[in-house]
Amino acid sequence: MTSVREPANRPAAIVRAAILAALVLGLVAAPVWGGSAARALLIVFSYNAALAVMWNLLAGYAGLVTFGQQVFIGLGGYTLAVGCERFGLGVWPAFLVAAVLAAAIAVPVGAVTFRLKGGYFAVGSWLVAEVFRLVFGNWDFVGNASGMFIRQARAIDPWVVYYVAIGLLIAMVALVVATLRSRLGLALMAVRDAEDAAASLGVHVWRVKLLAFVVASAGTALIAALITVQTPFIQPNSAFSIQWSAAASFMAVVGGLGTVEGPLLGAAVYVLLQHQLGSSGAVHLIVLGAVSVVMMLVEPRGIAGLLRDRLGWSLFAVARRPPASRGDSV
Amino acid sequence: MQLYETLINGLLLGGLYGIIGLGLSINFGTMRLVHLAHGDLIVLAAYFFVAVLVPAGIPPLAAVAVVVPVLFATGWGLQRYVIAGSLGRGVLPPLIVTFGISTVLQNVLLLWATADARTLHSPLASAGVQLAGITVATVRLVDFAVGLACLGVLLLVLGKTALGRALRATSDDPSTARLMGIDPRKMYAAAAAIAAATGGVAGVLLAATSTFYPATGSEMLLVAFEVVVVGGLGSLTGTFIGGVLLATAQLLGARLLGPSYALVAGHLVVLAVLVFRPQGLLPRTAA
Repeated sequence: MTSVREPANRPAAIVRAAILAALVLGLVAAPVWGGSAARALLIVFSYNAALAVMWNLLAGYAGLVTFGQQVFIGLGGYTLAVGCERFGLGVWPAFLVAAVLAAAIAVPVGAVTFRLKGGYFAVGSWLVAEVFRLVFGNWDFVGNASGMFIRQARAIDPWVVYYVAIGLLIAMVALVVATLRSRLGLALMAVRDAEDAAASLGVHVWRVKLLAFVVASAGTALIAALITVQTPFIQPNSAFSIQWSAAASFMAVVGGLGTVEGPLLGAAVYVLLQHQLGSSGAVHLIVLGAVSVVMMLVEPRGIAGLLRDRLGWSLFAVARRPPASRGDSV
Repeated sequence: MQLYETLINGLLLGGLYGIIGLGLSINFGTMRLVHLAHGDLIVLAAYFFVAVLVPAGIPPLAAVAVVVPVLFATGWGLQRYVIAGSLGRGVLPPLIVTFGISTVLQNVLLLWATADARTLHSPLASAGVQLAGITVATVRLVDFAVGLACLGVLLLVLGKTALGRALRATSDDPSTARLMGIDPRKMYAAAAAIAAATGGVAGVLLAATSTFYPATGSEMLLVAFEVVVVGGLGSLTGTFIGGVLLATAQLLGARLLGPSYALVAGHLVVLAVLVFRPQGLLPRTAA
């Protein structure tokens, strides 16, 4: 298969690289220009954006629209809490265990929920999350419904938490870009756009979906471990809450589903709204719900789609175009 | 004897679950829509009934006659002006739109009615009747009878009337139905309205049977989903049988494992059905 990546456009590639490098440098140099308020805001932005990047990998690229990724928020958070509090693990080794455990549990979860299609897959995944929520809420070893404190986490320097947060976000964006530019990315998008046609061309649909699901779940668990370090408290009703899926889908949809920059833009909007309206809940959520309905009906490609129309250009080069006059075929 | 009592109660609670599932089943059957706000419409009806109509001095039975048409109109309007625009564009848009509606409804209820538990205070709730040697709550009996009656009416409407024929034709093949002079958009709005009206009935029964909160909408959606998965997607009779099975599983789970395991037991039975019989118990054969 000959890859038909967007024709190399040197000036654009240089501008892209320069903008990305400036953004990354600005984030890395945050202690120089920002105080604790900026740090706190950027940590919240980073983990929300990373969450949306992982949700977008599923819904935007693999066609797996799910309302059940809170399973892996809860599992990631609890792995950290139980690892540190019950097994004397260090915080950072617990991150690794969280990712591995989430990947392992994603396999049976996917095997069951992939039997459902479309909207029923979305709700079926939510149902699985409810099972986890109820089981953890009745399980004394994990502190049942009252939850657990992670005492070790209090000793961590907030700037370390910050670097882990932006590190996770950058790594996840890089992972998605690399995946999209690979053969696997093509297979994922083929499955999303036309499952039967993809299968007839030799794409192993089930395996490709499961691979995306395992990767996104491990990523989600890492983010959850970070969130739990920052809190540093976990409780089943909030860890396995549907609100995580509501937030992730809002960010991906409003920012632009199926684009790399979309979840980042959506996360910026989400964090700003939360900042303005207060995180107390009801009003914030009413605005989120209404905005996502209007966005879906009026501009389903999100802010990224609008920007692409205006600028004719996007920050990450992952689009592929059919070869115009060259003789090679896909 | 105790097991027998559990089974009878499961059967009766299944009537309520069945009617909770009917709306989801109708929406899916006609337009392949998984309506994520259906549970919130049920809870909206319950609040309208308990927090608006009953305090206004309207007798409960007359209030029902208001709730159901209002929900019918709400379902029609939501479909025609909001959800319709998301259909036919893939899996994601209707999910995001109905989930957004759900979030808005739930939080508007939270702002307006607070998170306090509500219920209909009526003599019905505490009354019991002797049935086949055991005492069952009268309200459960009412739930079951009303649920069964709704199913009967729906099957008659869908099976015997011109509207039902048009709905089934649209469900099978919208473009051919259009050639026969049926406007699919009107049929979809009609289906959504009927589904929301069943949600209105379910909301009244919910209010009379148990306590509810704004967040109960999500629980209702999951119950509806489970009932539909167990019964078979798109089959109304299957939905009802699914309701009975789910309720029995929950009550057996509560009896054998303890009250806090009722929901888990129900969820696990549904997941087992997914693994071993993904088409459900009564799958719809055609379309």
